[in-house]
Amino acid sequence: MDLLRDILDKQVVDREQVKIGKVDGLVAELRPGKPPKIIAVELGSITLARRLGERPGRWMARLAARLGGRRHAEPHRIAWNKVRDIGVDIEFDIDVRETAIFDWQDWLRDHVIGRIPGAG
Amino acid sequence: MKKLLEISLGVVTSVGGFLEVGSMATAAQAGAAFSFQLIWAVVLGTICIIFLVEMAGRFAAVSHHTIADGIRERFGFNAFLWPLLATLLVNFLVMAAEIGGVAIALELATGIGFQWWALPVAFLAWLFLWKGTFGFIEKGVAVLGLVTLCFVVGAVMLKPDWGQVAAGAVPTLPEHDAANYWFMAVSILGASISPYLFMFYSSGAIEGQWDKSYLGANRAIAGLGMCFGGTIAIGVLIVAALVLAAHGIEQIDDYHQLPLMLIPIFGFWGFVLFVASLGIACFGAALEIGLQQAYLVAQGFGWTWGEDLKPRDDPGFSTVYTISLFLAAIPIALGLDPLKLTIFSMALTAASLPLTVVPFLFLLNDERYVGEHRNGLIANAAVIFIIALGFVLAVVTIPLQIFGGT
Repeated sequence: MDLLRDILDKQVVDREQVKIGKVDGLVAELRPGKPPKIIAVELGSITLARRLGERPGRWMARLAARLGGRRHAEPHRIAWNKVRDIGVDIEFDIDVRETAIFDWQDWLRDHVIGRIPGAG
Repeated sequence: MKKLLEISLGVVTSVGGFLEVGSMATAAQAGAAFSFQLIWAVVLGTICIIFLVEMAGRFAAVSHHTIADGIRERFGFNAFLWPLLATLLVNFLVMAAEIGGVAIALELATGIGFQWWALPVAFLAWLFLWKGTFGFIEKGVAVLGLVTLCFVVGAVMLKPDWGQVAAGAVPTLPEHDAANYWFMAVSILGASISPYLFMFYSSGAIEGQWDKSYLGANRAIAGLGMCFGGTIAIGVLIVAALVLAAHGIEQIDDYHQLPLMLIPIFGFWGFVLFVASLGIACFGAALEIGLQQAYLVAQGFGWTWGEDLKPRDDPGFSTVYTISLFLAAIPIALGLDPLKLTIFSMALTAASLPLTVVPFLFLLNDERYVGEHRNGLIANAAVIFIIALGFVLAVVTIPLQIFGGT
C-alpha cells in the first residue's frame, strides 16, 4: 500500500461513524534495514500548519496552546493499531468524545451555536 | 416512477442554481448592448456546465466523495488550499452579489434603499439554513424559481426573428466596442460556469445518498436542468435585446433600468414578475452558496456536515454558513453597487476556473475513484477545452475589466 497516496488526507470516522477530521499527518517509525512502519495518524491544525512549513507549524502550535491549554499544544494522535476499516473513510476504534479532537466544536456548541434559539 | 419524479425535481432545482443574479444581469447587459450577438456565450457556457455537473454527480455517485473531498484526498492538503481559498473568495463575492440582487428587488418593491435590506436578507437566508432541511431548501428554491420562466414566455410573446436568434448562437466578431463585447462574453461564461454549482451538486448527491443506480438520472438532470437554465438566460437576453434597445437603453449601468424589460409585454404585472424573479432567483442562489461555503470548509477539514443535521450536531458547519452570510451582507449594507459587484464577481469566477476544473481531469480518470465509470474521450476533451478556456479567461479578465468593464 502506498501510504502517502492511500491514507494521507483521507476522511477519518470513529466507531460511531462520526466524521472527526482528515488524516492530516502520518507518524512512522524508521527501522534500520526495513521499510518504515506507521504507528499513528495525526489530526488537527498544528499538523496541517506543519505541512505548510516549519514556521507556520510553530505559530499554530503556540496559538493552539494559548487557546486550548496544554491539552492542545501537540497534534491529536490516533494509534494505527486502532484501525478497523479502510474504505471510503478510515474507521478507527475510538470514541471521539473521549478525545480532545472536538473540544473546539464542543466549545462552539456550548458558548455560541447552542445559545441561538432553534439550534435543536 | 420515483426516479422520474427525482429527475424532474433535479431539473427544476438546477434552474435555481443556474439562474441567479449573474446570469440575469450579464444576459440583460449583453442583449441590450449587442442584441442577439452574444447568445453563443450563453450556449457555450451551458454546454460546459452540463459536462462539469454531470462529472461532479458521477464522481459523487460512484466514489461517494464530494469534489472537495476528492481534491483534498487526491492532491493533498497543500494543493487543496489553492482551490479552497479561491473558491471561498469567489463565493463570498458572488454571495454578496446575490444578497444585493434580493436587496434591489426589495428596493424596487418598497422604495426603501437597497443597502437597508442587506442585513435583513442575510438574516432571512440564515434562518432558512438554520431551521430548514436540504430537501426543504432544494424544493422551495425549485418551485418558486419557476417564476423566472416569465422571461421565456416574454421572449416568445415578443415574436423575435428566430433566424437571427439562431445566428447569434454562432460566435461572430463585434462591429463596435470590441473590448466591452469580449468582457461581456467573459462575464457570461463566468456566470454560467460557476464552481459553486458543480461543487454544490456533488454535495447534494452525497446528501441524497446517490449510488451507481443514479448514473442515468444524473445524466438527465445535468443535461436537461442546465439546458432549462440556459434557455431562461437566453430568454432574458432576447427580452433585453428587443425591449431595452427599443427604449434606447444600450448600456445597463443601473438596476433600475431592468424592470422596464417586462413592462411592455405584461404591463404592471411585468414589473411584479421582474421583481419576483430577481428576488427569488437571487435568494435561492444565496442559500445555495451559503451552504456551499459550509460544505467546502467542513469537507476540506473532515468535520461533520449535513444540512439535515441540527445546528447543535454540526457546530463547525453551521458556524461557517452563519459567518459567510453576514460577512457577505456587509459590502451591500455599506452601499456597494450590486450591479458592479455582480459583473466583477462573474469575471473573477471565470478567472478562478482553472483551479477547480484542472482536478476534474485527474479525479474523473482515476480508477480508484470512478472505476469503470471514468471519463470517455468526449468528456475528457470537454474538460481539456474548459481548462484551456479557463486559462484564457484568467489571462484576459483583468485587462478586459480595465478596458471593457462598465
